[in-house]
Amino acid sequence: MQLFAQSTFLETEGGRIRYAASIEMPKAYLSGICVLLREGNVVRGSLFNEFGVTALDFTYHPENQKVKLHHVISMMDKWYIRRVLRKDLAQLMLRLQQGETTYHNERRHITYQLKVMDNG
Amino acid sequence: MKRLLILLFVLVSVHLSLMAQQNEAQIRQAITQAASTMKTMQCDFTQTKHLKMLNDKMTSKGRMYYQQTNRLRWEYTSPYSYTFILNDDKVLLKNAQRNDVIDVNKNKLFREIARIMMNSVVGTSLTDDKSFKSTIATNGSEWTASLLPQRKDLKQLFQKIILHFNRTNAMVKQVELIERNGDKTVIELNNIRTNEKISADMFTIR
Repeated sequence: MQLFAQSTFLETEGGRIRYAASIEMPKAYLSGICVLLREGNVVRGSLFNEFGVTALDFTYHPENQKVKLHHVISMMDKWYIRRVLRKDLAQLMLRLQQGETTYHNERRHITYQLKVMDNG
Repeated sequence: MKRLLILLFVLVSVHLSLMAQQNEAQIRQAITQAASTMKTMQCDFTQTKHLKMLNDKMTSKGRMYYQQTNRLRWEYTSPYSYTFILNDDKVLLKNAQRNDVIDVNKNKLFREIARIMMNSVVGTSLTDDKSFKSTIATNGSEWTASLLPQRKDLKQLFQKIILHFNRTNAMVKQVELIERNGDKTVIELNNIRTNEKISADMFTIR
């Protein structure tokens, strides 16, 4: 199964890719780095800001297109935020599989964007 | 005889404990003194983020400028370009796409990050008893201070902060930020220069 059309990086076991990430909301803007790692049939992801403070740890299961959140920074750790994040991240991962790097949540006016970084 | 040995053991233990306390007080005094005489500081830094869940790490590099008492410029140059400027109550966040100015009093996350970054590199976190419970140990050529957050907002961010001080000048040379999920960020400070004039432009927020 081809997981990510835009890059062959995550098509192989142990493949890893780093993105410059941004989340734009009506009253806030967050930027940082998103690292994705393919492990078996699961993609593990971590999103942290430039200073290194982790906002999210998650896993994405391409078979059923579900995201499981393993860690959410305390300030965002509310059930209603988790629900939005789970759904939006699943949509973002799905877009990545299709070769796109942006997902816009029309209802909540949130835009998620990933841009591939040089992997070092 | 047995009682005498116990008494001797107790006396030696108390003596060693008092010596350790005295030594710790001297180290704190040396660090406080170094921080208070530091009007400006500039250095290069290497930041390594350790991701526990991904068993991965990422290194970024940049340059830092500090001016007593409330000005900090933290600039990443590789592998991404990102500048964070703290000037009193205002923060400027600048990346390739945009500039954002934030009032730190209205943004809890940035207020804490700004405070931690600045107070850690200068070493004043060690004397902030309201925010941290601290212990100090001597390891070869360095002093290691372990800071356990006491305030709720700090506890939400970090499990522990470890500051490594150079014994020869009582200045911070490495900061370890350990998060609640087990991730760790290590910041090494290199080519440190103190008390040299820094242009006010470095801290300008427009």
